[in-house]
Amino acid sequence: MATIRVNPNRMELLKLRRRLEVAKRGHKLLKDKLDELLKEFMARIAENRRLRDEVEEALFGAYGQLAIARAEAGSPVIASALLAGQPADLVEAGEKNVMSVRVPLLDLGEIPPPEGYSLATTPALLDGALENLSEVLPRMVELAEREKAIELLAAEIETTRRRVNALEYVLMPQLADAVRSIRMKLDESERSERTRLMKVKEMIEGQQQ
Amino acid sequence: MAGIAIIGDAVSVAGFRPLGVAAYAVDRPEDARALWPTVLDAAPAVVFVTEPVYAAIPDLIAATADSPVPAVTVIPGAGSTGGVGSEKLERAIERALGTKMPVREEDV
Repeated sequence: MATIRVNPNRMELLKLRRRLEVAKRGHKLLKDKLDELLKEFMARIAENRRLRDEVEEALFGAYGQLAIARAEAGSPVIASALLAGQPADLVEAGEKNVMSVRVPLLDLGEIPPPEGYSLATTPALLDGALENLSEVLPRMVELAEREKAIELLAAEIETTRRRVNALEYVLMPQLADAVRSIRMKLDESERSERTRLMKVKEMIEGQQQ
Repeated sequence: MAGIAIIGDAVSVAGFRPLGVAAYAVDRPEDARALWPTVLDAAPAVVFVTEPVYAAIPDLIAATADSPVPAVTVIPGAGSTGGVGSEKLERAIERALGTKMPVREEDV
């Protein structure tokens, strides 16, 4: 591990000690944040898996119904029927702060009832398929909200873990090593200074006698 | 208020149009690359992409990863087998925990 090169004096020692204290405090804070993020993350995963399975199953069901409707009435009829409807602003999008991670809050408004196509020329299965899709859409939006939050939390957890590890395994040991080496050098110079003084004192006493 | 968009093959996305969702049908999944800026210009809150489209434009989808919206979510298309969304979730778990997490029966 690379060591920090510093001048072994008291000023540097004080400075490094202060840095070490700050690093320790930061490490504790980040570690607490990491624990809390992991708790939040784990709580969301199980529910998300269940929701995704539900959504995928419901979508396959609706696709199946649409395929049968196409087979019954013919693709052009169904395609023109499904051209009805205009894109609408369905979602109220907000943000929520979870441990300094901005996650989306999506609130789905009322879905317009599917209409604008002839009930006489299209099979009843088309109505059923559209009804199923309008039932699954709120769960799809919920899934989108949850998955986005999970991805954002995962990215934040990764960053926070890197920071915690950098502090724990690189910066803090380096600072502690530097403090120890300055301490040793200062002690050494203090000892040599004392020895020198004793020697001088002895010499002066010898001369006086 | 914001909209919802869906990109995929015509068969998969057509059913969402009557529900007020902005449906963008593409003949080939790669066509979604040219369509992507148009989709984002409408500032949708949620963009659903079918699995083949997700496989064709992962870089463009990854570019939206850091912001809360749009929330880009993978859904199975009419002809696909599903499971890509779950894999995406597994990757997020691996990224966060540094390891894969087995699925327990009671979790599902």
